[in-house]
Amino acid sequence: MNETGAPAEPSKDRATRGSSRWRFGLCVATVLFAPQAYADNKALGQYLASECTACHQLSGASTGIPPIIGWPKDQFVAVVKSYRAKERDNEVMQTIAARLTDEEIAALAAYFEGEGKK
Amino acid sequence: MNQFTRRKFLQTSAAVAGASAFGTAAVLGQAKPKVVVIGGGAGGVTAAKYIARDSKGAIDVTLVEPLKRYQTCFHSNLYLGGFRSYDSITHGYEKVTSAYGVKMNHQWAKAIDRDKKEVVLADGSRLSYDRLVIAPGIALKYDSVPGWGKEHEVAMPHAWQPGEQTQILKKRLDEVPDGGLIVMIAPPNPYRCPPGPYERVSMMAHALKKAGKNKSKIIVVDPKENFSKQGLFQEGWEKYYKGMVEWIGPKVHDGLKSVDPKTNTVVTGFETYKAALVNVIPAQTAGTIALDAKLANASGFCQIDPTNMRSAVDPNIYVLGDACIAGDMPKSAFSANSQAKVAALMIRGELTKSDTFPARYANTCWSLIETDDTVKVGGRYEAKDGKIAAVETFISKTGESAELRKATQVENMGWYSAISADMFA
Repeated sequence: MNETGAPAEPSKDRATRGSSRWRFGLCVATVLFAPQAYADNKALGQYLASECTACHQLSGASTGIPPIIGWPKDQFVAVVKSYRAKERDNEVMQTIAARLTDEEIAALAAYFEGEGKK
Repeated sequence: MNQFTRRKFLQTSAAVAGASAFGTAAVLGQAKPKVVVIGGGAGGVTAAKYIARDSKGAIDVTLVEPLKRYQTCFHSNLYLGGFRSYDSITHGYEKVTSAYGVKMNHQWAKAIDRDKKEVVLADGSRLSYDRLVIAPGIALKYDSVPGWGKEHEVAMPHAWQPGEQTQILKKRLDEVPDGGLIVMIAPPNPYRCPPGPYERVSMMAHALKKAGKNKSKIIVVDPKENFSKQGLFQEGWEKYYKGMVEWIGPKVHDGLKSVDPKTNTVVTGFETYKAALVNVIPAQTAGTIALDAKLANASGFCQIDPTNMRSAVDPNIYVLGDACIAGDMPKSAFSANSQAKVAALMIRGELTKSDTFPARYANTCWSLIETDDTVKVGGRYEAKDGKIAAVETFISKTGESAELRKATQVENMGWYSAISADMFA
């Protein structure tokens, strides 16, 4: 997996998504040492994600609108920010992204990355 | 940490989550809080699913919906046009029960006893609630079109509520002879699905053209001076259905005087039309149960608190979708689904003390004009100045490229799959 790059399009390879032990260890450490912050962000991510799932299926199915589960966080953040900056074309996405703060985009990225691991 | 496998982590997390849910109920010192949801459409089933799913069993959720198989009103125009099968707009509630634990009660909700916090069902039994969500959709004002009434809805179908009516209209459309006239009586504001009548006109014209009935014509008798996506639809009608579609506003027709279902006649101040098919889309109010429970104001729709979708009349009741007054949001499935997620969040917050966040709403309405030519309108909304106010909106433009219109149709079909899954899967 490309940990640092921000590819323009999502990875199609589900098997490579966020499966490194190092990443997982970090995640557990976050849970253990900062439980309150984790809980808040998770709830925020879950709520914000409910706006996305009207169009992007949680199952990962793709029937005309791209699936967004399981994306590496960096990639998710980069793509949403490019819609927010209106650098990408779709008006629905531009409008939704326009009101997302950096913190909210991060919460969404974490939520959808996690959904890809289920 | 090396021994701490992912499976183990998930098991531990589940145990913590379970203990937490149990702890919440124990703190409240009572049986599980109860939520009853009336109406299994885009607002109701979404609210039921999200409350049940995200409370992880801490809230008892019952969805009251008489139908076991539900046809969506959205995309029913595509069925009329031959772009979708009836099966593809039909859904069931099995997964909502099996995956999320929503209890289905397939009865008609007859009344709401607000003092006792109970819903009265058709068989006389009662369901008690701590919070009630109503998403009853619309009721048709059968007396709003002179000469027309409920007894005439087969002769002159409305097809503005999903199911059998949709099939009747499709059958009647297919029977229109070449040269036959279709008259649509369009509804006054506010009504379900603002671009819907005009997408329907497009789909009817497509079906006529495809069947080689090029001499047939559709006349829209509209009580409004203008309508949703007007420039886009009129551009499409001119491009694809030249001479087949005529829209006339009140300045031209001088008012709808009467219809006669026996002779398929429509009389306006301007002209009398003898039609092969008359599609009457009457004026609308919130679903009857909302009116009976006195949750609606003089407009016939229910005022809500825009920060949480709570009824302005009863703090224990939330009103979603077409039945509510949603400010700048149109009455659409997308809107109802969006509102349901806000209500679900707030209800969980009230009943289980879970986190809540400021309400945010969104809507997009796609309309198919002809094969691979779809337009859209939408926006995002927030609570402001006592209503749900548009913050940013967008609409397709006339003269867009064929490539973009085709991509918009792909998006339209993708949205249908996704919102159906969001509601029923």
